[in-house]
Amino acid sequence: MGQPKSAVIRSDLDIVIARTMARDMARTLGFSAIDQARIATAVSELARNIYLYAGTGTVTCREVEKHGRKGIEIVCEDQGPGIPDIDLVMQDGYTTSRGMGMGLPGAKRLMDDFSIQSQVGVGTKIVLRKWRS
Amino acid sequence: MALLPVQALILTGPARQLPQHVQRPCAREDRVESLRIPILKIGDILIASIQVNLHDASAVQFKDDLLQKIHDTRAKGVIIDLTALDLVDSFIGRLVADIAAMAGLMGSRVVITGLQPAVAITLVELGLELPRVITALNLEKGLSVLQRLTAESGDGAA
Repeated sequence: MGQPKSAVIRSDLDIVIARTMARDMARTLGFSAIDQARIATAVSELARNIYLYAGTGTVTCREVEKHGRKGIEIVCEDQGPGIPDIDLVMQDGYTTSRGMGMGLPGAKRLMDDFSIQSQVGVGTKIVLRKWRS
Repeated sequence: MALLPVQALILTGPARQLPQHVQRPCAREDRVESLRIPILKIGDILIASIQVNLHDASAVQFKDDLLQKIHDTRAKGVIIDLTALDLVDSFIGRLVADIAAMAGLMGSRVVITGLQPAVAITLVELGLELPRVITALNLEKGLSVLQRLTAESGDGAA
Protein backbone atom coordinates (compact mmCIF):
# COMPACT_ATOMS: atom_id res chain seq x y z
CA MET A 1 0.00 0.00 0.00
CA GLY A 2 1.38 3.38 -0.97
CA GLN A 3 1.31 6.45 1.20
CA PRO A 4 -1.88 8.57 1.23
CA LYS A 5 -1.55 11.88 -0.57
CA SER A 6 -3.24 15.13 0.36
CA ALA A 7 -3.88 18.46 -1.28
CA VAL A 8 -5.03 21.58 0.50
CA ILE A 9 -7.70 23.52 -1.42
CA ARG A 10 -7.32 27.29 -1.12
CA SER A 11 -7.63 28.54 -4.69
CA ASP A 12 -8.88 27.45 -8.11
CA LEU A 13 -5.33 26.36 -8.93
CA ASP A 14 -5.47 23.85 -6.07
CA ILE A 15 -8.45 22.21 -7.82
CA VAL A 16 -6.09 21.36 -10.70
CA ILE A 17 -3.45 20.10 -8.27
CA ALA A 18 -5.98 17.87 -6.44
CA ARG A 19 -7.39 16.29 -9.59
CA THR A 20 -3.88 15.74 -11.01
CA MET A 21 -2.89 14.05 -7.74
CA ALA A 22 -5.97 11.77 -7.91
CA ARG A 23 -5.34 10.91 -11.56
CA ASP A 24 -1.67 10.09 -10.89
CA MET A 25 -2.61 7.77 -8.04
CA ALA A 26 -5.37 6.12 -10.12
CA ARG A 27 -2.87 5.53 -12.92
CA THR A 28 -0.33 4.05 -10.48
CA LEU A 29 -3.03 1.72 -9.13
CA GLY A 30 -3.73 0.42 -12.63
CA PHE A 31 -7.08 2.09 -13.41
CA SER A 32 -8.04 2.36 -17.08
CA ALA A 33 -7.72 5.71 -18.87
CA ILE A 34 -11.51 6.19 -18.71
CA ASP A 35 -11.65 5.40 -14.98
CA GLN A 36 -8.74 7.80 -14.43
CA ALA A 37 -10.81 10.51 -16.13
CA ARG A 38 -13.88 9.62 -14.02
CA ILE A 39 -11.88 9.79 -10.78
CA ALA A 40 -10.12 13.05 -11.72
CA THR A 41 -13.41 14.63 -12.80
CA ALA A 42 -15.19 13.65 -9.57
CA VAL A 43 -12.31 15.13 -7.55
CA SER A 44 -12.46 18.29 -9.64
CA GLU A 45 -16.18 18.71 -8.87
CA LEU A 46 -15.77 18.16 -5.13
CA ALA A 47 -12.61 20.25 -4.82
CA ARG A 48 -14.47 23.08 -6.55
CA ASN A 49 -17.33 22.72 -4.05
CA ILE A 50 -14.79 23.13 -1.24
CA TYR A 51 -13.29 26.20 -2.91
CA LEU A 52 -16.69 27.82 -3.67
CA TYR A 53 -18.61 27.05 -0.49
CA ALA A 54 -16.07 26.45 2.30
CA GLY A 55 -13.10 28.46 1.04
CA THR A 56 -10.56 25.93 2.28
CA GLY A 57 -10.42 22.19 2.87
CA THR A 58 -8.47 19.09 1.99
CA VAL A 59 -8.61 16.28 -0.55
CA THR A 60 -6.87 13.04 0.45
CA CYS A 61 -6.37 10.00 -1.82
CA ARG A 62 -5.35 6.56 -0.65
CA GLU A 63 -5.22 2.99 -1.87
CA VAL A 64 -7.85 0.68 -0.35
CA GLU A 65 -8.57 -3.03 -0.54
CA LYS A 66 -11.77 -5.00 0.12
CA HIS A 67 -12.26 -8.74 -0.45
CA GLY A 68 -9.03 -8.81 -2.42
CA ARG A 69 -10.20 -6.02 -4.71
CA LYS A 70 -8.08 -2.93 -5.03
CA GLY A 71 -9.43 0.56 -5.24
CA ILE A 72 -8.90 4.22 -4.57
CA GLU A 73 -10.52 6.19 -1.76
CA ILE A 74 -10.86 9.95 -1.85
CA VAL A 75 -11.84 11.96 1.20
CA CYS A 76 -12.91 15.59 0.76
CA GLU A 77 -13.19 17.49 4.03
CA ASP A 78 -13.91 21.06 4.95
CA GLN A 79 -14.91 23.11 7.97
CA GLY A 80 -17.26 25.23 5.89
CA PRO A 81 -20.90 26.17 6.40
CA GLY A 82 -22.18 22.61 5.95
CA ILE A 83 -25.15 21.43 3.90
CA PRO A 84 -28.60 21.95 5.54
CA ASP A 85 -30.48 19.53 3.26
CA ILE A 86 -28.36 16.76 1.77
CA ASP A 87 -31.27 15.13 -0.08
CA LEU A 88 -31.87 18.41 -1.87
CA VAL A 89 -28.27 18.89 -3.09
CA MET A 90 -28.15 15.25 -4.24
CA GLN A 91 -31.03 15.90 -6.63
CA ASP A 92 -30.10 16.24 -10.27
CA GLY A 93 -30.52 19.78 -11.42
CA TYR A 94 -30.48 21.32 -7.95
CA THR A 95 -28.19 24.32 -8.04
CA THR A 96 -27.21 27.38 -6.15
CA SER A 97 -26.41 30.52 -8.09
CA ARG A 98 -22.76 29.49 -8.32
CA GLY A 99 -23.05 25.86 -9.34
CA MET A 100 -24.50 23.86 -12.18
CA GLY A 101 -26.46 21.41 -10.11
CA MET A 102 -24.38 18.42 -11.07
CA GLY A 103 -21.42 18.60 -8.71
CA LEU A 104 -22.54 16.09 -6.10
CA PRO A 105 -24.89 13.79 -8.07
CA GLY A 106 -22.43 13.92 -11.00
CA ALA A 107 -19.50 12.91 -8.80
CA LYS A 108 -21.61 10.10 -7.32
CA ARG A 109 -22.40 8.72 -10.79
CA LEU A 110 -18.71 8.75 -11.76
CA MET A 111 -17.65 6.72 -8.70
CA ASP A 112 -18.70 3.34 -7.18
CA ASP A 113 -19.19 4.38 -3.53
CA PHE A 114 -20.27 7.78 -2.29
CA SER A 115 -21.04 8.86 1.26
CA ILE A 116 -21.59 12.30 2.67
CA GLN A 117 -21.72 13.64 6.21
CA SER A 118 -22.44 17.27 6.84
CA GLN A 119 -23.36 19.42 9.80
CA VAL A 120 -24.41 23.03 9.51
CA GLY A 121 -21.75 25.30 10.98
CA VAL A 122 -19.27 22.43 11.38
CA GLY A 123 -18.34 21.19 7.94
CA THR A 124 -18.72 18.51 5.31
CA LYS A 125 -16.96 15.20 4.71
CA ILE A 126 -17.43 13.26 1.50
CA VAL A 127 -15.89 9.83 0.93
CA LEU A 128 -15.64 8.41 -2.59
CA ARG A 129 -14.37 5.04 -3.70
CA LYS A 130 -13.77 3.45 -7.06
CA TRP A 131 -12.87 -0.22 -7.41
CA ARG A 132 -10.61 -1.59 -10.09
CA SER A 133 -12.37 -3.83 -12.57
CA MET B 1 5.09 46.84 -18.39
CA ALA B 2 4.63 47.01 -22.14
CA LEU B 3 6.71 43.88 -22.53
CA LEU B 4 4.40 41.74 -20.39
CA PRO B 5 2.17 40.31 -23.13
CA VAL B 6 5.22 39.22 -25.14
CA GLN B 7 6.71 37.46 -22.14
CA ALA B 8 3.39 35.82 -21.47
CA LEU B 9 3.28 34.48 -25.00
CA ILE B 10 6.75 32.96 -24.72
CA LEU B 11 5.86 31.30 -21.43
CA THR B 12 2.66 29.80 -22.79
CA GLY B 13 2.84 26.19 -23.86
CA PRO B 14 2.29 22.60 -22.86
CA ALA B 15 5.85 22.22 -21.59
CA ARG B 16 5.16 24.58 -18.71
CA GLN B 17 4.36 22.38 -15.72
CA LEU B 18 1.91 23.50 -13.06
CA PRO B 19 3.74 22.13 -10.01
CA GLN B 20 6.47 24.77 -10.48
CA HIS B 21 3.88 27.40 -9.64
CA VAL B 22 2.90 25.76 -6.40
CA GLN B 23 6.11 26.84 -4.75
CA ARG B 24 5.40 30.49 -5.55
CA PRO B 25 2.15 31.49 -3.87
CA CYS B 26 2.98 35.19 -4.26
CA ALA B 27 3.17 35.02 -8.06
CA ARG B 28 -0.54 34.51 -8.66
CA GLU B 29 -1.09 37.26 -11.22
CA ASP B 30 1.91 36.01 -13.15
CA ARG B 31 0.50 32.48 -13.23
CA VAL B 32 -2.82 33.55 -14.65
CA GLU B 33 -1.06 35.62 -17.29
CA SER B 34 1.23 32.78 -18.32
CA LEU B 35 -1.67 30.36 -18.95
CA ARG B 36 -3.29 32.51 -21.66
CA ILE B 37 -4.52 30.46 -24.60
CA PRO B 38 -3.29 31.66 -28.02
CA ILE B 39 -6.09 32.42 -30.51
CA LEU B 40 -5.09 32.17 -34.17
CA LYS B 41 -6.86 33.81 -37.12
CA ILE B 42 -7.06 32.13 -40.52
CA GLY B 43 -9.26 34.01 -43.01
CA ASP B 44 -12.49 34.75 -41.21
CA ILE B 45 -12.11 31.85 -38.78
CA LEU B 46 -10.49 31.82 -35.35
CA ILE B 47 -8.81 28.69 -34.02
CA ALA B 48 -7.89 28.08 -30.40
CA SER B 49 -6.32 24.84 -29.23
CA ILE B 50 -6.42 24.32 -25.49
CA GLN B 51 -3.32 22.40 -24.49
CA VAL B 52 -2.94 23.21 -20.82
CA ASN B 53 -4.68 21.87 -17.75
CA LEU B 54 -7.00 24.84 -17.34
CA HIS B 55 -7.75 26.29 -13.95
CA ASP B 56 -10.88 28.35 -13.51
CA ALA B 57 -9.33 31.81 -13.83
CA SER B 58 -7.46 30.97 -17.05
CA ALA B 59 -10.64 29.43 -18.50
CA VAL B 60 -12.60 32.62 -17.78
CA GLN B 61 -9.73 34.68 -19.22
CA PHE B 62 -9.93 32.56 -22.38
CA LYS B 63 -13.66 33.24 -22.71
CA ASP B 64 -13.09 37.01 -22.42
CA ASP B 65 -10.12 36.95 -24.83
CA LEU B 66 -12.01 34.90 -27.41
CA LEU B 67 -15.16 37.07 -27.38
CA GLN B 68 -13.03 40.22 -27.69
CA LYS B 69 -11.10 38.67 -30.58
CA ILE B 70 -14.37 37.72 -32.34
CA HIS B 71 -15.44 41.34 -32.01
CA ASP B 72 -12.09 42.75 -33.19
CA THR B 73 -11.67 40.42 -36.19
CA ARG B 74 -15.37 40.01 -37.09
CA ALA B 75 -14.73 36.28 -37.34
CA LYS B 76 -17.64 34.30 -38.80
CA GLY B 77 -16.62 31.13 -37.06
CA VAL B 78 -14.55 29.76 -34.20
CA ILE B 79 -13.03 26.34 -33.63
CA ILE B 80 -12.07 25.36 -30.10
CA ASP B 81 -9.94 22.26 -30.28
CA LEU B 82 -9.90 20.16 -27.11
CA THR B 83 -7.81 17.22 -28.43
CA ALA B 84 -5.15 17.73 -25.78
CA LEU B 85 -7.54 17.92 -22.82
CA ASP B 86 -7.83 14.76 -20.75
CA LEU B 87 -10.49 16.22 -18.45
CA VAL B 88 -13.50 18.49 -18.88
CA ASP B 89 -15.40 19.03 -15.65
CA SER B 90 -18.74 20.81 -15.20
CA PHE B 91 -17.04 24.20 -14.90
CA ILE B 92 -15.16 23.94 -18.20
CA GLY B 93 -18.15 22.23 -19.83
CA ARG B 94 -20.44 25.07 -18.84
CA LEU B 95 -17.88 27.62 -19.99
CA VAL B 96 -17.66 26.00 -23.42
CA ALA B 97 -21.47 26.06 -23.70
CA ASP B 98 -21.48 29.71 -22.58
CA ILE B 99 -18.83 30.67 -25.14
CA ALA B 100 -20.84 29.01 -27.92
CA ALA B 101 -24.03 30.83 -26.84
CA MET B 102 -22.29 34.20 -26.44
CA ALA B 103 -20.44 33.94 -29.75
CA GLY B 104 -23.78 32.99 -31.34
CA LEU B 105 -25.32 36.21 -30.04
CA MET B 106 -22.47 38.09 -31.69
CA GLY B 107 -23.14 36.33 -35.01
CA SER B 108 -20.26 33.90 -34.92
CA ARG B 109 -20.55 30.09 -34.93
CA VAL B 110 -18.51 27.90 -32.59
CA VAL B 111 -17.50 24.30 -33.28
CA ILE B 112 -15.82 22.19 -30.59
CA THR B 113 -13.43 19.56 -31.94
CA GLY B 114 -11.40 16.60 -30.78
CA LEU B 115 -13.12 15.52 -27.56
CA GLN B 116 -11.36 12.40 -26.28
CA PRO B 117 -13.47 9.27 -25.59
CA ALA B 118 -12.83 9.50 -21.83
CA VAL B 119 -13.89 13.15 -21.85
CA ALA B 120 -17.11 12.40 -23.77
CA ILE B 121 -17.93 9.54 -21.36
CA THR B 122 -17.34 11.57 -18.19
CA LEU B 123 -19.30 14.57 -19.53
CA VAL B 124 -22.39 12.46 -20.22
CA GLU B 125 -22.09 10.56 -16.91
CA LEU B 126 -21.75 13.88 -15.16
CA GLY B 127 -25.03 14.91 -16.76
CA LEU B 128 -23.52 17.52 -19.05
CA GLU B 129 -24.45 16.57 -22.60
CA LEU B 130 -24.03 20.07 -24.07
CA PRO B 131 -26.96 19.58 -26.51
CA ARG B 132 -26.64 23.04 -28.04
CA VAL B 133 -22.92 22.87 -28.72
CA ILE B 134 -21.84 21.91 -32.24
CA THR B 135 -19.02 19.37 -32.24
CA ALA B 136 -16.84 17.62 -34.80
CA LEU B 137 -14.49 14.67 -34.59
CA ASN B 138 -11.34 16.62 -35.39
CA LEU B 139 -10.03 19.97 -36.58
CA GLU B 140 -10.36 19.09 -40.28
CA LYS B 141 -14.00 18.00 -39.95
CA GLY B 142 -14.64 21.02 -37.72
CA LEU B 143 -13.44 23.34 -40.46
CA SER B 144 -15.79 21.83 -43.03
CA VAL B 145 -18.72 21.99 -40.58
CA LEU B 146 -17.92 25.64 -39.94
CA GLN B 147 -17.63 26.44 -43.65
CA ARG B 148 -21.04 24.87 -44.26
CA LEU B 149 -22.61 26.73 -41.32
CA THR B 150 -21.25 30.12 -42.31
CA ALA B 151 -22.18 29.57 -45.98
CA GLU B 152 -25.79 28.73 -44.96
CA SER B 153 -26.15 31.86 -42.90
CA GLY B 154 -24.86 34.13 -45.67
CA ASP B 155 -22.85 36.88 -44.02
CA GLY B 156 -22.26 34.72 -40.95
CA ALA B 157 -25.05 36.21 -38.86
CA ALA B 158 -26.66 33.53 -36.73
